[in-house]
Amino acid sequence: MPSAGHNFVTGRSIYSYEFVLSCSRWALSIPSLVVYKAVLVFLMILHVNQVPPNQTAIAGSVASTLLTVAAERQVQSRVLENLNVHLEWVQYKTNFREAVSLRRAIRGEEVLPWLEVGVDLRQCRPDALKEEFVDALKEATDVQAGSKKRVYLEPFTPIRSSIIWRFNNLFWQHLPLWETAAGHGFEKALPTGTSDANHPEAVADAVADFWTLLKDLEGHNLLPAEIFAMEIGVGTGRRAAAWLDRFRALDHERGTNYYPRIRFLLADYSMPTLNRAMEAVRNHRELASFLAVDALDPFKSLSFLRYKVLSIHLTNVYDNLPTDEIVVRDGKLYFVESRAYVSAAAATRISEEFGIPLTEFSRTVGRLLEVGPQHLHHSGGEYGVQFWTAVWDAIRLEERFVAIQSILDAPLPAGVKPGLLEKFVGEGVMNQRFHLSSGAVESFLNTVPLLHPRGYLQVQDIFVTNLEDYGRMFRGPGKMDGSIVNWVNGALLADVGAQAGYDLHFAPFHYREGSRTSILYTTHRE
Amino acid sequence: MSLPILPTTVVGSYSMPGWLERLKTEFFARRISRQDLDEIHDVAVKAAIKDQEVAGLDIITDGELRRDNMIDYFAERLPGIQTDHTSKKFYYDFYDSVVRGKLPMASLRLADDFRFLASFTDRAAKFCVTGPHSLVKRIKDEHYKNEQAFATDLARVMNMELKELARAGARYIQIDEPYYSGFPEDLQWGVKVLNTLVEGVDAKIALHVCYGNRYGKPSWAGNYRYLFPTILEANVQQLTLEFARRGGEDLELFKEYPNKFELGVGVIDVKTHEVETPDIIAERLRKALKFVPAERIFVLPDCGCLHLPQEVAFAKLRAMVQGTKIIRKELGG
Repeated sequence: MPSAGHNFVTGRSIYSYEFVLSCSRWALSIPSLVVYKAVLVFLMILHVNQVPPNQTAIAGSVASTLLTVAAERQVQSRVLENLNVHLEWVQYKTNFREAVSLRRAIRGEEVLPWLEVGVDLRQCRPDALKEEFVDALKEATDVQAGSKKRVYLEPFTPIRSSIIWRFNNLFWQHLPLWETAAGHGFEKALPTGTSDANHPEAVADAVADFWTLLKDLEGHNLLPAEIFAMEIGVGTGRRAAAWLDRFRALDHERGTNYYPRIRFLLADYSMPTLNRAMEAVRNHRELASFLAVDALDPFKSLSFLRYKVLSIHLTNVYDNLPTDEIVVRDGKLYFVESRAYVSAAAATRISEEFGIPLTEFSRTVGRLLEVGPQHLHHSGGEYGVQFWTAVWDAIRLEERFVAIQSILDAPLPAGVKPGLLEKFVGEGVMNQRFHLSSGAVESFLNTVPLLHPRGYLQVQDIFVTNLEDYGRMFRGPGKMDGSIVNWVNGALLADVGAQAGYDLHFAPFHYREGSRTSILYTTHRE
Repeated sequence: MSLPILPTTVVGSYSMPGWLERLKTEFFARRISRQDLDEIHDVAVKAAIKDQEVAGLDIITDGELRRDNMIDYFAERLPGIQTDHTSKKFYYDFYDSVVRGKLPMASLRLADDFRFLASFTDRAAKFCVTGPHSLVKRIKDEHYKNEQAFATDLARVMNMELKELARAGARYIQIDEPYYSGFPEDLQWGVKVLNTLVEGVDAKIALHVCYGNRYGKPSWAGNYRYLFPTILEANVQQLTLEFARRGGEDLELFKEYPNKFELGVGVIDVKTHEVETPDIIAERLRKALKFVPAERIFVLPDCGCLHLPQEVAFAKLRAMVQGTKIIRKELGG
């Protein structure tokens, strides 16, 4: 049987079946494999990307179900012969995947024979597995099958252009309505129910670092008259308030009198969030400013601060920005397109619940995104938020892989030199799926021009710093309340940073045990 | 070769094409030979010369496209400097280089690159050299007792090279000393070293001081006040300073400290891809003319165009030339 480890492992042949099992972390025991005595000859590859220790039984069920489906000839052998099955544990309780989903590959108009099935072990029910596999695999030969089962909300599109990002935007623009309906603040959706950004020790250390920089600049007679510090993505405003409280106290304690020169900028693209933050920092109002900025391009509205800001901090912003994904299979490149849908059953249920003809379902979703939940129905916002919540819960993404000759044929983050991406992909592994973190990359490149020559950027977020780690765990997209979360490709971001003249360092967030976040900080590249 | 009033030129570097960056890096990965790279450089330099001519510049450089960065081109050639050729993978990085003994007098063979430039243009040609103060900030010193001593010896060796450049026909030589802005406390001895460097060199010498352009971003903040009055002792004919990005406030210093220098006025912000209009250029020049007479003004970008995409660099230079023509017309030229 295959052993643990992340190398490719060839499993033993069982009669005339050949299985190649790709194990990333966990040993897999499939005793039931030996009962099959079929004589079909094909190669099917099972990739075990992540199986928690207590879920090996369900992983075994998946493998044996696959064999059953093959042995019973419920699916055409040519489908099975071109099949890659990926098992993973999607850590987000709500996400955009079905338990079993099919992904085709295309080149131009041509549908390629190569197929992939993704299995979310978390959602798998052993009793329904076989049916779900058969259903998914039948779609491989019947391109119309999907439209019978689903109500599509958009055509296939690069992921960063998907309608799901309009939902994400809706969430931040109408946060108070969502929170009222949910009965809790958005931070409750975080693993600990609160943001690590507010951790008092982390804030105190950040303030101490900043004060040290100011002292050094003053020592060289280079301290600017106005000391700009900025937070992008202000959350509840609690971190900004804690930072300012701490800075004022330290400044007073050391007698440096920097505090009155601070110009603290709170920037966010959500006005409700800014309004909330304004209240949180009310004790520092005389030196705080609140700015509506595009998270993808802060420079656009802040160009007057070019090379002036000494410290910029972001928490959980990059993981919430649009991204595209690249898939490498056997050394060939694909970019991922998706189309959002709601299952026909869910669409019917939601339509009935909200008194909408099923034929009007998609149009009503479009209206929700256009006018907002409060204007969706004459009865008021409550109806709109309930509809919004029901649709958001039901939204899934159908994916397909578009074959490309070179990474340059993919939708690339703006501002990145093509050679850098070619090099990045060229050094990658043969089988991989990873984020381009398009929004994060663009945001980074459009933020660093604000930095003073001695300034620095700190970003607290969930980063994948080693490309190979993408194969070891599901990295998104997931749903976090009404917003989207994706891990951020830190390995790519580090290369992008170097291109822009910054070395990027990633330090695990050590202030809370078990935290998955890291702090990215920049130093100037010599 | 006579120049018009308000001569236009570049600070030194021209846009580094992405393909050339890749090929330079390929060289470090030992995937192309030195000979291939030299030929590639020749082609790239010819293209840079042509772009500058078409843009309408009066004084042309080789675009500094043979250089990895402003340090290594010299560190590699300087006799007595030991360079660890395994110490970088990306061309733009700096080598680890060190001096372990007194620098011997020997040629850097920079004149060959000037001759190549001069043979492919009929216009006036300028050659740019990184100054000793900047070089000592990046080359590790294990021999001299202090930076000034090391820089003085570098100046002694490089003085011979500047004379060779002048003999090869270089009428315009520019010394780049951006690290002055990072270490203003060094200026006193920096100027003495500069004077050693240029002593007896039969060419017009310009001194370029900016706030850094590494990776297309400034390395330091501040203003040019620190240069005065010490810089008045420099035996150079021209100061080339950046005014486009930082605004023209420091022009006041030329009123406050009357001096004999020509002024190379930076009118193009090389740290943004936004292309200035000719009118903006003209306005920036009008401001400079309030402090320095037209006969003593040269027109340049703030710093090298290295980090700008080719189409942006070209468009900026064209705008610079067109904006300058507006002012020449206003001056009756």
